[in-house]
Amino acid sequence: AQAQNSTREVAYFAVPAGPLTSALQQLQRQAGVSIVYEARDLQTTQVSATELRGARVGDILRQLLRNQPLRFEEKQGVIILQPTNPAAPAAPGKRAPQSRQVKGRVTEAGGAALPGVTVLVKGTTVGAVTNGAGEYTLDLPEGAETLVFSFVGYLAREVAVGEQATIDVALVQDAKLLNDVVVIGYGSVKKGEVTSAITSVDPREFNRGVVATPDQILQGKVAGLNITRSGDPNATASVVLRGASSLRTGQAQEPFYVIDGVPAASINLVAPDEIVSIEVLKDASATAIYGARAANGVILITTRRQKPSAAVSYSGYVGLEQVSNTLDMLSGDELRGYLEANSKSLSPADNDAGTNTDWQKEVMRTGLSHNHTVSYGGGSEKSAFNASVNYFKREGVMNTSDSERLIGKINLDQKTLQDKLQLRFTLTNSLLTQHLISELVYKNMFTHLPTTNIRNADGTYKENLTRTQYYNPVALLAQNHEERKINTLLGNASAQLTLLKNLTNTLSLSMQNEAVKGGSYQGRESPVPNAANVTGLAAKGLARRYSVENSRKILENYLTYSPLSTAAHNLKVLVGYSWQEDKNGDGFQTDTRGFVSDQLGYNNLALGNPGGVAPNYDAAIAGYSLGISTLRLISLYSRVNYGLNDRYFLQVSVRRDGSSAFGRNNRWGTFPAASLAWNLAGENFLSGFRKLNELKLRVGYGITGNSLGFDPLIATQRYSSVGTFYYNGAFIKAIGPTQNPNPDLKWETTAMLNVGLDFGLWQNRLGGTVEYYDKRTSDLIWNYPVSTTQYFVNTLYANVGEISNKGLELTLSAQPVQTSSFQWSLTGTLAHNVNKVEKLANEQFRLDQVYTAYPGGSGQSGISTQVVKTGYPVGQFFLPEYAGRDENGLSLFYKADGTTTGSPTLNDYRYQGNAQPRLLYGLSNTVSWKNLDLNFFLRGVQGNKILNATLANLNIPAQSTANNLPAFSLTEPYADNRANYYSNRYLENGSYLRLDNVTLGYNLPLKSEYVKRARVYLTSQNLLTLTNYRGIDPEMSLGGLTPGLDNNNFYPKTRSYVLGVNLDF
Amino acid sequence: CTDLNAPIESEYTPSNFLTTPEQFIAASGPVYSQMRGEVAKAYWNLQELSTDEAVIVARNGNYYDGARYQQLSLHTWNPQNEFVRVAWEWGFSGISTCNRTLALFQNTPDGAFKTQFTAELRTMRALYYYLMMDAYGNIPLVPEFGNTTQPTNATRQQVFEYIEQELKAVLPNLSPDVSAQTYGRPTQSTAQALLAKLYLNAEVYIGQPRYTEAIAACNVLIKSRKHSLAANYLDVFAVENGPQVSEIIFAVPFDANLAQGNMMSRFALHQQMKDKFGLLFTPSNASLTWPEFFALYQEPTDTRNQQWLSGKQYLSDGRTPVLISTTKKGLDSRYTGSDGSAAISYHLELSDRLTFRDAAKFDVGNDELGKAQGTRNIKYYPDKSSTSRDQGNDLVLLRYADVLLMKAEALLRGGQDPDGATALSLVNQVRTRAQVPAFTTLTLATLFEERSREMAWEGWRRTDLIRFGKWEAVWGQGLKTNADTYRRLFPIPATELTLNTNLKQNPGY
Repeated sequence: AQAQNSTREVAYFAVPAGPLTSALQQLQRQAGVSIVYEARDLQTTQVSATELRGARVGDILRQLLRNQPLRFEEKQGVIILQPTNPAAPAAPGKRAPQSRQVKGRVTEAGGAALPGVTVLVKGTTVGAVTNGAGEYTLDLPEGAETLVFSFVGYLAREVAVGEQATIDVALVQDAKLLNDVVVIGYGSVKKGEVTSAITSVDPREFNRGVVATPDQILQGKVAGLNITRSGDPNATASVVLRGASSLRTGQAQEPFYVIDGVPAASINLVAPDEIVSIEVLKDASATAIYGARAANGVILITTRRQKPSAAVSYSGYVGLEQVSNTLDMLSGDELRGYLEANSKSLSPADNDAGTNTDWQKEVMRTGLSHNHTVSYGGGSEKSAFNASVNYFKREGVMNTSDSERLIGKINLDQKTLQDKLQLRFTLTNSLLTQHLISELVYKNMFTHLPTTNIRNADGTYKENLTRTQYYNPVALLAQNHEERKINTLLGNASAQLTLLKNLTNTLSLSMQNEAVKGGSYQGRESPVPNAANVTGLAAKGLARRYSVENSRKILENYLTYSPLSTAAHNLKVLVGYSWQEDKNGDGFQTDTRGFVSDQLGYNNLALGNPGGVAPNYDAAIAGYSLGISTLRLISLYSRVNYGLNDRYFLQVSVRRDGSSAFGRNNRWGTFPAASLAWNLAGENFLSGFRKLNELKLRVGYGITGNSLGFDPLIATQRYSSVGTFYYNGAFIKAIGPTQNPNPDLKWETTAMLNVGLDFGLWQNRLGGTVEYYDKRTSDLIWNYPVSTTQYFVNTLYANVGEISNKGLELTLSAQPVQTSSFQWSLTGTLAHNVNKVEKLANEQFRLDQVYTAYPGGSGQSGISTQVVKTGYPVGQFFLPEYAGRDENGLSLFYKADGTTTGSPTLNDYRYQGNAQPRLLYGLSNTVSWKNLDLNFFLRGVQGNKILNATLANLNIPAQSTANNLPAFSLTEPYADNRANYYSNRYLENGSYLRLDNVTLGYNLPLKSEYVKRARVYLTSQNLLTLTNYRGIDPEMSLGGLTPGLDNNNFYPKTRSYVLGVNLDF
Repeated sequence: CTDLNAPIESEYTPSNFLTTPEQFIAASGPVYSQMRGEVAKAYWNLQELSTDEAVIVARNGNYYDGARYQQLSLHTWNPQNEFVRVAWEWGFSGISTCNRTLALFQNTPDGAFKTQFTAELRTMRALYYYLMMDAYGNIPLVPEFGNTTQPTNATRQQVFEYIEQELKAVLPNLSPDVSAQTYGRPTQSTAQALLAKLYLNAEVYIGQPRYTEAIAACNVLIKSRKHSLAANYLDVFAVENGPQVSEIIFAVPFDANLAQGNMMSRFALHQQMKDKFGLLFTPSNASLTWPEFFALYQEPTDTRNQQWLSGKQYLSDGRTPVLISTTKKGLDSRYTGSDGSAAISYHLELSDRLTFRDAAKFDVGNDELGKAQGTRNIKYYPDKSSTSRDQGNDLVLLRYADVLLMKAEALLRGGQDPDGATALSLVNQVRTRAQVPAFTTLTLATLFEERSREMAWEGWRRTDLIRFGKWEAVWGQGLKTNADTYRRLFPIPATELTLNTNLKQNPGY
């Protein structure tokens, strides 16, 4: 608690190039500190233009004094500035003892010179500052033992002098210092003052490789944040924070994204290279400021705004992607042999002599990806700009699937009214083009007989259409096309006005527009039925086009007031208002049929010959709703932060949210939160523990809501088209109620208690965080069955159920080795969560359980494999128990009474494990040696089950004249016609350990006046997986209501190799 | 600004809908589109798969689906059965929709339009009630919409009386007209035919014979001369059937594109029949008839034989055989000869036998012989113009031939006819149309057989078997032996009992 003035924070500090004295005057004014110096010492000193955000006075001074022979120290609250080497006054009489000289060079870990580093003889004010080449010379006074090397943004190092004449030192960047300021939504606080569970992720920790969106770069990095990435270039990752807490799926389970302060902005707008930091707000005391949308956590993304000086950078990579694993299916000859051995034979139509078609191979390829980002910026102290362009193209490993994206972004910042008004403008546009494929391919690439050719002799695709859902996978990709173009535009303008010295008003206006255009075409030969069971073959070509726009307008205005800012008391108050209106589904879709050629696809609907079939305007578009719907959200929020003596911190916030989607009787909700932090390390009773440099206990409790994914009309009675009826000689549209009204419908409520402990030892060489949370979500929304004796329709959306999640999270980071040429740092995360459905029914809405996860499959329509039931977690498997085989080789299952049966019924089912892992972990290692660095990242889960329904459905030996078999089936009795029945036989351990990312980088030791920095790296993603799981990949999405179900339903996982380069000019 | 009233721009809600007569007509549509929803699916399954007339067997595991079809055939269903649940929800949604539409309509000005419209909706409600009472017996009686207290079971007698009163009350206000203008909606004939059904089965429903009243209802209908037998039996059910078929009293209109839900051909046909009927989709090869039912068709000239597909199959030209290229083992997976892989060409023959390979699982195998098992019904003739799996044949629920047979049966069961018609002459009208020789004598047993031949696959078999006391008989090659009389009623679905604790399960379940 000594040097308090130099640790005081300045939210924004900027000076133009000019005399140091005027910069110091400004600093005194802004920070309210006293700085004393001899004017003659500074007379000629000039500083370059400087801009810093959220920096401490000491850091600002270090920056200003960089390259200057000046140093500062604080004594009794006054900062004293003096020359590093005061002219030694000639001592009269006695001659000073001869001091010896030491010199050396200070570099970054990568080897680049570090100018401006302060080199100080410990315990004295004697020191030097390194020059442009990073070199210093220092006269050592008598008794000098240790040199301290310090520089803003780097970990200080102490080196014993000994007898050395040359001391070279490499400094390591200090992640903690870089992220000294933590964004908390509508503002920021110093890391030491954080009172809730927030994890900051620095760009250097991001996942490298073929990565499209911000969620994917966080995979495995944040304890408790479970992200599943798909191999599909067009799929979004599923993100679940601290366990499932909604029975609704999709957006309702995803965190809430705030990008550069714009709530609910599209993550498609952010190129990973442009991200400066990501903060994950995990507990309710942190997220409650976002109210009714915050229950799944909030992810705050900050992108690059501007560079301190004119600069250009480029980063890019080229990647190759391959499928990481395939299923071992029989070859044509193996299948023929197997059938022969079981005295069965293929129909001639299914048996082309000598053919061994590997369908998995036929539909897959090595995908090529490349990504380029060019970014540049500059300007003056008054106005600055930054512009960037990102291009990303990724070919999927499944033929014809790919995605291509172009993002352009411009920032303009301007200061006026004597810097009292700060204007900011950002315009981002993303154009994403996707080529999608039919999900039928995933099943047919396994089931299709390897004994048939891809094509007939006449060049047409070979098909056997006497079987259901049995199609030539190559033809599926060739004959069916779907393309989607998503243009997302975000404009944001904000004005920050300093009204009084400690009172600021910020007004932010945003507008986001997402325009989706798409089309699909099923060719004239395509035997695949569409949603209305019409095939391209029957219709002679089926074309569909759609266009839909979703727009969003947001106004945010907030005041920040800091009435107290002394050494002992620090009080900040925030009060804000926000208004948001979303207009979704503004568009239409239509279709036609009957084309004479496939050549033009869906590009010219006018060429169709629909032959009296009316266009279908009602068809659903996956991921989008059609029909204009307007959602309005209005909020008032406030937050108070109070710090006492740098040791006790309190944060209290409240938000009041109103939504037009909520029922008439429950339009407004209030979401309060409070949290406390106690900085134990600052207490006197711990002052003896010198190794301990951080110890902080945090306790927080808050209430948040979940109203994400709400249809704006979810609570209203609706009339819609319910088919047609015959009236007066013609079919006309029947219009009837399609939704019961529920005026009481509201958000889902989550109350969360969080207890956390942050610690740091040995100058943060070892640091970590432990979190415990207890999260209880009530008012869960479910579409409850209601009796049609009283209601319009047989279901009603109502708030009834409860789910709890309790867990522990541990994050540890360490720097075991830190020498000038060799550094090793590692970070590990570990998360444990227990999920439980506490309640599903109440007096009014009765529901014993919900049977879910119907994999379908031959003869198994309508068989459920999971149950959502009170007392069990989401993803609870509920299945027959396998009892081996009878004397005829037929599978048996236990009945409820312990005897066995060949046809188990629901009464015989048993609760058998669940899909949610007990442990999730990640371990990241970075080793640098001189200019080389190696990072490898391990990730895994433990203690979960997966139902391998894919294998079950393939394991039907008796149908092997119609469907190919996996090698697994070779040891199965041919006669077992119930081998495929879902039971715990197919319930497998889903644990895995994955070497998820390995990156080898090299910083080129350039001494060029053109290129400041150059780095090349090689990355491999998903290099190795250790698991006992028999399916293609054990990594299952934990989103949705039926996690852990492997049912021919996913795009294969991939392995990629990337060569990348980063250049700064 | 704290105004949360966002505009509603693309949906009808109570604030912007139901203000004009045209909107009311559209709002009555759900009553009819609801009827279409399951009448040819779940409801049909309850009425037909539970009898000797239709069955869905498993083919090497396919269509086993947790024994849901098998349960119906063997009378072993439980309150969890999928079709028991779906049919209930369908029927009571229909009733609820009628109640709601009637409530909405009360506020409109009186007039001829309102009078007839109201009568039609009440007749539809009576029809839904009839179907539910017939299937489930002691059902809740909820004649009004919006009452949130949960109803209790009414007795079957109470429901019977309610239906009777309603039909009688609305009869004068229904249209007497039988034309394209009224087709698909209930007319006076519809109400009379439904009354006849109600009275004919009164002994089953309420334990009282009401045969004379059944005859009276038939008589009004017959004497109105609005309906007559179609010259050609299959025309009544053809893809093009519609208002021009005067035999139809009430049909549920379907269209392959505009009004989907009839997929009889998709379920009934063998995959290879695609070529024979020029279909654009591959049928699923599921529903068949039991051989003993098919055995009722013995007269070679009977035009009603044409509704069955059996024996060796030829393409539409009648000459080209339907050939399936396979191997000996592909034909019969049980073949053990060493030349099992030898290619053969199999002339498809739909077997009128049903040979189970695994009777416990209702499985007939899925080799070519297995696939060819069973006689198929094409009464609702396949729709070659359809590009989906749906077909355009309107489902005939009430027709004139049924009225004639009902009257004949009521006479045989002791009902009095003031017009003095004989049961024999009525039945012979039907036989003559079918181009089979007239009967000279008639007993309830021969009438039952005639009725079976005439009314196959039309959704009345379960009701008929119960009335004739044959519901507890053995059929299905001896597999169906369950004789529990409580199964004359289906159970109230388990889900409904969970929702409404005031309801009591039917006895026996």
